[in-house]
This record gives sequence, C-alpha cells and structure tokens, in this order.
Amino acid sequence: MFGLFKNRIFRRFKKTEASIHELNYLFWECTTRCNLNCLHCGSDCSKDSSTQDMPLSDFLLALDTIEPKSENLMVVLTGGEPLMRKDIEQCGREIRKHGARWGMVTNGYLYNQDKHNALINAGMGALTISLDGLEINHNWLRNNNNSFARTDSAIALARGSTRLNFDVVTCVNARNIDEIPLIYNYLLSQSVKAWRLFTIVPIGRAANSPDLVLTNQQFKYLLDFISHTRKLKTIDIKFSCEGYVGPYESKVRDTGFFCRAGINIGSVLIDGSISACPNIDRSFVQGNIYTDNFFEVWNTKFQVFRDRKWTKTGRCANCNQYADCQGNGMHNWYGDKANVLVCHNEKINPAG
Amino acid sequence: MKSKWIRNILRGLSVTSMVFIFQACYGSPQDMKYDMFIEGLVKASATGEPIQGIKVSLTDTDQYEFTDEMGKFSFYTDLSGSYPILFEDTDGGQNGVFMAVDTVLIPENNSVYFEMLLDRP
Repeated sequence: MFGLFKNRIFRRFKKTEASIHELNYLFWECTTRCNLNCLHCGSDCSKDSSTQDMPLSDFLLALDTIEPKSENLMVVLTGGEPLMRKDIEQCGREIRKHGARWGMVTNGYLYNQDKHNALINAGMGALTISLDGLEINHNWLRNNNNSFARTDSAIALARGSTRLNFDVVTCVNARNIDEIPLIYNYLLSQSVKAWRLFTIVPIGRAANSPDLVLTNQQFKYLLDFISHTRKLKTIDIKFSCEGYVGPYESKVRDTGFFCRAGINIGSVLIDGSISACPNIDRSFVQGNIYTDNFFEVWNTKFQVFRDRKWTKTGRCANCNQYADCQGNGMHNWYGDKANVLVCHNEKINPAG
Repeated sequence: MKSKWIRNILRGLSVTSMVFIFQACYGSPQDMKYDMFIEGLVKASATGEPIQGIKVSLTDTDQYEFTDEMGKFSFYTDLSGSYPILFEDTDGGQNGVFMAVDTVLIPENNSVYFEMLLDRP
C-alpha cells in the first residue's frame, strides 16, 4: 500500500520536474578524439577523428546564456577522451569561473599525478573512471595492453582526493559478467567508495558486437548481485539510470527510474548541436549553439523529452508498467520513434 | 516558483531524499561540495620583483601549484577554515634562490588573494 502511494507520488514528482525543467547537468562533448579504441564504445569515436575539438570560447558563450544558473549546475566534460585536449585544465578553470561546477568522465589512461593535481587546481569536483574488468578483460575490451595498469593508477589517485566526488563505472557485458565479484573485490581493495554498473546498449560501435550483449539470465544475475551487495553496505554500488528494471527498481538504485534527459540534462555536442545526453540518437537534436541561443532552446524546445507520451508505441503500447517506465531511457530510441531498442524489464521477465 | 514548492513537497512525500542528487547514465557524479579559490603573487622581499617557479603547496593535501613568470599562482580547493601553505624554491638557482616560508591562511570568504614576500638566504 505504502509502495503504491510512493510510486504515485514519484510519478507526479517526475511530471513536475519535467514541467520545471531546471538545467542541472550539462554535458560538453569537448572532443571526439580518443586514445583508445574500445569495442563497446557508444560514441564510436577514434584516435584520428577528423572533427576538430570545439574551441573553449564557443562553449563558454553557450554557457553564459544560462541565466540564472542553478546553484549546482554541473558541466561534465566528455568525448571521446577529454584528456586528449591539451587545454583541459583551462577549460575546467574557465567553466568554474563562469559559475558552473565541473567534472569529467575518463578512461584514465592519461590521468597521472601531475594531471590529477592540475585538474583539482582547476576546480574539478567530480570524476568518473571507466573500468571494464580485471586486467585481461579490461585490456581486451579497451584494445590496449597497458590500459588496466593506467586505469589502476588513475583510480589510486582519484580515491585519495578529499575534493573529488569520485566513482568507477563498469560496462557489464557477456565477456566480463562472470568476474563482476572479482572486480568488486578489487575495488574494495582499492578503497573505492562508489561503483556504478551499466550494460551494453547496441548503439555506436557496440552495435557491431552483439555477442557482448547480456543474456536475460546474465542480466538478472547482475541485478541480483547489485541488490545483494547494496545490503552489505561495503561500497555505494548501483545500477545506472539506463533503464527501468521493474521489480528491482527499489533494490538496485537510490531512487526509482527517472530518465532526466532533456528535463534536467542537456548537452552541447562537438558540432555545436544542442541535445540531452550525448548518447541519444542525433535526430533528437534541438538546435545548435552556432545559430541559436542555447538557453532559449533549452527553455522553449525539448518537448519530445518532456512529454514522453509518444513513446507509448511498439512494445511499450500495451505495457502495464508504462506509467513508471515511460518508454525507458531516451538513448533507447531512434529518430523514427517506432519502437524502443531495449526493454530492460522484458529481460527480467520475458513473459511479462 | 509555485511549481518548485510542489516539487519539493512531492520529493518529501516520495521519501526519496536523493532525487536531486543524480547523474546521467554515462556521466560523472554531481559535485555538491563547497570550494575555495585561492590566488596570489610571490615576490622577492629585497627587490619586489615577481618570482617564477616557486612551489606553492597546501601541506594538508597533495595539492600544489607553481608560480608563473609573473609570480602568480591560483587554485581551487576544498572549503576549509584555514589553509597551511608552504612556499618553496624547488628549481635550484634557475630563478634565484629563496628561503622557504610556511604560513597559515585564514580566509574570510570563498575567494582570497594575497601576496607573499620571500627572502634570499
């Protein structure tokens, strides 16, 4: 009874959030260059990307249109690999000076003591490092034999910082699912406090690796592992917000499923496109900072993200959990809006 | 404004105090801490000339910064009531030789500027 009440209130809360649509979280795809060539990459970037990095001044002009900025507006530098930019510290420092907090997602390969110090000095307050297995699997997935050692060093630096809100993310796939408990032990031994797990969605380069996608049984195993480990309170482990997981909703995350793309989360992509999360199909782009005022676009467009009724189609059309799920994460939709790419709940209960 | 009140009430009722602390699927966590911006200038006490290459360290953390050619330094750090700072000449005689100074900075707000004079031995 209480759970039902809570669900209804949470639905209402989500609706109100969509109506207010306060921008709290802004991705900046500052480069599409990358020093690795991961098999599961959702952005399909490359070492010799022909696309130029976006000049910092262009991004700052867009950032300055956001007025007033919410108190905790967070800019998250992403790519590609953000550390490929030589001016990354300057980028962070200017973002902080322009009234936003900032953080970064990195593969850790270029993250050494000097870089760590310079980024903290530049006001970095949050960091996510990707770790996709122990040495053999991580290096295999990252296509680089030194990747694990570099990431291991990066994790040691980050976890020692009192300034950083730091977590490790792991992309769980058919290759590393069996060693999830070993990764857990490794993270505990490294005194990592927070661990977020997500699964492969067949977008970007990952679309070419269907063998990496978890089976239904493996997916359930993952959720059971997270649920069980959360009870131990040894590490702040959670399933990412990538999708609605029905009966596991209250067991694998701090809050119920809420895809905030376009509601609280926006992005400035490498070509100036204005969108929500960078991994969302580019046909959902709402404008461009080179031709539009960013904040005006944020305030007046994005209806497709804020009213998701259009997702009640395809396999979502007759789903009895639609009210809580609302079409799953937005990155699970292509521009034709015909059908959701992945239904996590269906993986848990195929007959349901 | 009214909507924000409604949202806050709904947040309370849904017993999800964490609803404002979120992260995108593939993004970093949010930064909810307060920080401090410290900047300054290091000069030679005898001449008033700026000194390049002085290492400015927060001794209770692993943070440090080197002064630039104008003798300037700046960095963000955790908000705290006081900051023990060490000024050291670590580049030998490259920019002159100066004695180290230990000091404690007690800021009055979340941004501070100060000048430090260093003596030759």
